[in-house]
Amino acid sequence: MKQNAINKLRQFAAALMEEYFVYAPIMHDEKLTVMEAENCKDIDWSGQITHNPWKEMFTPHTERLFDLENGKVTATKGVQPLVACLGMNILDLKALALYDTVFANDIYYQNRRNHIAIIGFSSDWPNDYKKFKVFSHNFEQDILKHVRFDIFIAKLKSGLLKFYSGSQKGSELLEKYGINKFDHIEFEGAVPEKGADKRMISLTDKVEKSFDHSLWNTLNDICLACGKCTIACPTCFCFNFVDRVDPENSRRDRVQGNCFYNDFSKVAGGHKELDTVKKKIYFWYVHKFVRIPKEYKLPGCVSCGRCVKVCPVGIDIFKNIAKLEKIKFDVKK
Amino acid sequence: MNNIYLPKVIKVIAISRESIDTNLIRFKFASATDQKSFKFLPGQFMQVGFAGWGECPISICSTPTRSCEYFELAIRDVGQLTHKLNELEVGDEVLARGPFGNGFDVDNFANKNLLIIGGGCGFVPLRPIIEDFLSGKIISRKLQIFYGCLNEDTLLFKNEYEKWRKHAELGIILDKPTAKWRGEKGMITELIKKGEITPDTVVVMVGPPIMYKFAIKELQKKGIKDANIWLSLERKMNCGLGVCQHCAIGPFYVCKDGPVFTYSQLKGISGAL
Repeated sequence: MKQNAINKLRQFAAALMEEYFVYAPIMHDEKLTVMEAENCKDIDWSGQITHNPWKEMFTPHTERLFDLENGKVTATKGVQPLVACLGMNILDLKALALYDTVFANDIYYQNRRNHIAIIGFSSDWPNDYKKFKVFSHNFEQDILKHVRFDIFIAKLKSGLLKFYSGSQKGSELLEKYGINKFDHIEFEGAVPEKGADKRMISLTDKVEKSFDHSLWNTLNDICLACGKCTIACPTCFCFNFVDRVDPENSRRDRVQGNCFYNDFSKVAGGHKELDTVKKKIYFWYVHKFVRIPKEYKLPGCVSCGRCVKVCPVGIDIFKNIAKLEKIKFDVKK
Repeated sequence: MNNIYLPKVIKVIAISRESIDTNLIRFKFASATDQKSFKFLPGQFMQVGFAGWGECPISICSTPTRSCEYFELAIRDVGQLTHKLNELEVGDEVLARGPFGNGFDVDNFANKNLLIIGGGCGFVPLRPIIEDFLSGKIISRKLQIFYGCLNEDTLLFKNEYEKWRKHAELGIILDKPTAKWRGEKGMITELIKKGEITPDTVVVMVGPPIMYKFAIKELQKKGIKDANIWLSLERKMNCGLGVCQHCAIGPFYVCKDGPVFTYSQLKGISGAL
């Protein structure tokens, strides 16, 4: 990247750090990691997918919901710090659009979300989106209209930076930091006007009817059910309620869940619905490719490939979906 | 914005021992306003528990017509939390959220023969349907009730059978009764085989998955359509709102799209039954 573009980005980040806790992609232990930026020079501007997803910013691992004291239930009203997520790439913005939809009526999520500024970044717009090998839905030419951001910074092929605002807050921030040349993009809803993506719908049908496909038996034999894929996945949002007992004050927390763990489906008496690895991994795929698309008309997988990178036995969602896409509804193979 | 995760305080106002392991508990909301605005459908459930102990889904077993006064839960002692709920005394307070789920489509039962099949503690959500039939709120042509249990000790709502028999056909069968038992002995499928069931009957069934498997076969032999077999599923639940994923089966959430489904909705889904 040209040095003047880097300098401009650093200046922007430094200005942002004056009023926000800035989280950004930073090289840490040889991995591109979303973490708090203490120095704007540490921020990576490669536009690559980070090792960890951004979801911890929106749905923290543990979140206090309410306290019970002397028989009175009191909802937790934490003071939310101002946070900026700087450098989210387009796939992560797509995952965020899903989160915003899923948690639209969740007061805890919304309270936090209202204090987070989203600054998307592309290192080679729009070519890097094309390079991400999106497989779960068709390429969207007008994707910036269907993801939520306050500011989007696109580094063009020429090396120049182009700024977009996606909200009133975004416009105000840009003007405040002296960036007066920007285009405004109006959010037109996470689901395009023409409706749910056709490739996604076709895949939904195939995954839903695929339980007898040999793929799941193969995965049953190799998957360790370690659950690393769900931790790495930017669209996994399942959770558990965990209660803490204290003699004077009890409370309930929401804790990130994991459908690969043994107690996920365990009911009183010990019965577990998900009692084999095959059932667990199929359940995970059905969430991504069936339940999310059917309910929200959005893809449940954004093709980031983080699950492939973290899988200790090399399970590759790109290859698995390619196999399932070939199904012609005669699934007994 | 309403806080969907915040429970309300409910108070125990009456308790009766229903079976060897189940208490029937009548609750009232601590807040009169909450009680007045409380509405539910037969087949819906509440998430009940204590802070520090979590919460669990329990089907409501009283009639919706009294919802602005109280609601009842029959709680079987099967785990740590339900054990603690069975230790409740009148005046004690617990936390509850709900009602959740779709409930039975009672309008669909109108002017049809209705057959209720309950297995073990699965009978709990069926009681409001019977009560509403007896009170004339559900206007079905005929009501048949088939109830299968392990033994006499596990039968629920024993004091109500006489009342039910006045207006409905009640068949009870026990799998392992004591020597004193003079009624039917065997599995619930025996009652279905022997029963006079017309093919246009609407069946509402709640019980363990193994019961569904065999009962459905017998019902199909009687000519009953899959779309007329309604059943309620039980799964682990946390949020009750179709978000947390614990209760998902195929494309559905048991807590939100269910717990009541028709057999035609479920039959192609792996692991549903």
